[in-house]
Amino acid sequence: MSWVQATLLARGLCRAWGGICGAALTGTSISQVPHQLPQGLHCSAAAHSSEQSLVSSPPEPRQRPTKALVPYEDLFGQAPTGERDKASFLQAVQKFGEHSVRKRGHVDFIYLALRKMREYGVERDLAVYNQLLDIFPKEVFRPRNIIQRIFVHYPRQQECGIAVLEQMENHGVMPNKETEFLLIQIFGRKSYPMLKLLRLKLWFPRFMNINPFPVPRDLSQDPVELATFGLRHMEPDLSARVTVYQVPSPKDSTGAADPPQPHIVGIQSPDQQAALARHNPARPIFVEGPFSLWLRNKCVYYHILRADLLPPEERVRWGWHHPEGWNLYYPMQLDLEYSRSGWDDYEFDINEVEEGPIFAMCMAGAHDQATLAKWIQGLQETNPTLAQIPVVFRLTGATGELHTSSAGLEEPPPPEDHEEDNSLQRQQQGQS
Amino acid sequence: MALFHKVLLGTYILRKCSKPTSALHPFLGIRFADYSSSLQKPVASPGKASSQRKTEGGLQGHHQKEVALDITSPEEKPDVSFDKAIRDEAMDHFRRLKDEIVNHWKGPEGRPLQEALLEQAKVVWQFRGKEDLDKWRVTSDKTIGGRSEVFLKMGKNNQSALLYGTLSSEAPQDGESARSGYCAMISRIPRGAFERKLSYDWSQFNTLYLRVRGDGRPWMVNIKEDTDFLQRTNQMYSYFMFTRGGPYWQEVKIPFSKFFFSNRGRIRDVQHELLLDKISSIGFTLADKVDGPFFLEIDFIGVFTDPAHTEEFAYENSPELNPRLFK
Repeated sequence: MSWVQATLLARGLCRAWGGICGAALTGTSISQVPHQLPQGLHCSAAAHSSEQSLVSSPPEPRQRPTKALVPYEDLFGQAPTGERDKASFLQAVQKFGEHSVRKRGHVDFIYLALRKMREYGVERDLAVYNQLLDIFPKEVFRPRNIIQRIFVHYPRQQECGIAVLEQMENHGVMPNKETEFLLIQIFGRKSYPMLKLLRLKLWFPRFMNINPFPVPRDLSQDPVELATFGLRHMEPDLSARVTVYQVPSPKDSTGAADPPQPHIVGIQSPDQQAALARHNPARPIFVEGPFSLWLRNKCVYYHILRADLLPPEERVRWGWHHPEGWNLYYPMQLDLEYSRSGWDDYEFDINEVEEGPIFAMCMAGAHDQATLAKWIQGLQETNPTLAQIPVVFRLTGATGELHTSSAGLEEPPPPEDHEEDNSLQRQQQGQS
Repeated sequence: MALFHKVLLGTYILRKCSKPTSALHPFLGIRFADYSSSLQKPVASPGKASSQRKTEGGLQGHHQKEVALDITSPEEKPDVSFDKAIRDEAMDHFRRLKDEIVNHWKGPEGRPLQEALLEQAKVVWQFRGKEDLDKWRVTSDKTIGGRSEVFLKMGKNNQSALLYGTLSSEAPQDGESARSGYCAMISRIPRGAFERKLSYDWSQFNTLYLRVRGDGRPWMVNIKEDTDFLQRTNQMYSYFMFTRGGPYWQEVKIPFSKFFFSNRGRIRDVQHELLLDKISSIGFTLADKVDGPFFLEIDFIGVFTDPAHTEEFAYENSPELNPRLFK
């Protein structure tokens, strides 16, 4: 900050020359507590002491006996009701402005406010960022002559402005005209914060909509809706149907006899239904899981119902002479290729990984066999042939292919060993 | 200098010949003198056994299994000597050089010219065996003191590669890093004879093709050009790869015209398109600021010509940011 530099310069001068202002300046600055605000050259000692009393005595008693290491931290601790939201944040910002017209220590305050934004939940709010930029004194940092334009005028303030814009960039907040106007007012058109704003305005629109599988920012917290969204997100077939097999029991029910029901939501497309109907009952099908799916910053787990690959001799490839593979209305096998003629070949010279067919997917609140058995029972209503097919549960402890399971995730799967259900049990359940 | 190189090559050869152990390496330096003198000493023996064998001499030592062995000794003990090993290595390199020169007459990389020119889809990296994994290396922010972990292994049935781990965006407390949390898988630069750096030539292709199965996290694909110039070590071309998640395999096609240029992690104002004639490596990075485990299964990576894609470069230069370009 320029006042520090000025003070140091003054001190140096005094020491070197034994100057006139030595006694007054060094007296005030050294005798005070070291981490006081650095004072400008022109303010009097009286103003300094009144300033000090304003800053260092908050209304509430301090928990720590030592002074706050960061200046102005107490401004953020003064929420009247204790809740941290946009209103209290803006109030703290306003209080800083009321201290002095000259906005001393605004760079430190802005850095502190940037750090505190996450706690108050306002890191994606453009209005708050504009308020923060409003703290800068206007028209002071604009370069006025060519020398100021060559050398970076007020570098710390420019760095601070860049830090504000960088946090906006990290959280994906698009600046608007008010931000641009503020920056021009504060720093001028050719400054580094203005350059950064130009870059934000250039690159953000280019990358805003490139996600082919977009996930909305505010996902619903309701587990059933989340599961529905997740299942639709994963399934490329748009004609798939989502079925809710079990709705979670309300949390505040006092019935202690019933264990809390987890939600079960499943998805199946008509093609998968047809494939399951065709499946040979002699071969078992497997319930595998749980696998993890990340929706922005939320991890949900899903299970799949699949069968193994048929060995090559059993694989059925219907030609157009087979009644099921033959349709007068639509071609059953459509090879849409780019190739213009024999010389064009856009196929890769590799055998792709082949895996068995997947018949259905589900997301459930619990990852144990009982819940998944309920899912299978629910599936049976739309797939009656499922009753004859043996179902094997392959539930792994950790999430699917992962070795490490870390804490702090929503719905962590219970550590279970490799479990296999007997096929006879399933058949009896199905038939009775 | 030559001696030091001999030791290094020798240790490398010995590591290849016998089962590598951590106990082996400290002894090699000391026993270097022994190896150069006697040609018949058996390899792969920890402390006590080695001293015993020195006293006994000959090849009888390795039959004694009751000596305290931390490692399982291999069945056949190859006769190893430094000179022979180094000679073999040098001959191998010369052979590779000869192959390269001869193949150059036939066509690029030994394939006939008509086949190479007419090729429209090429598999560059596939994951069908352990040796395919050696072409890649994994890094995470552990190098700067962070807490992310990343591992690479073969997937089910050796048909794909699985990159998995945990991302942690906790910044290391070293006073200079404000943010952290990244994991990356980078391909090794292809090497020719005498460990020369080679590069890929993809000038006839225009799209990158990946067959992956992710967990919904957004990844970043980075391509680095040949690093003959020193400034190019920090420059790369990147684009995003969004995974869908779910049990189905996903085909990701990224045209090369979409890759933007960045230096030292920052997008530069002056953008130019990726030149495909000298590509040295490709990498996948995950840094989406979300803590938690992740995985990415990759089937293969290829390049092909998309005839429907005619765009040359996706990003214009702006006259406000680069006035000098528009003078």
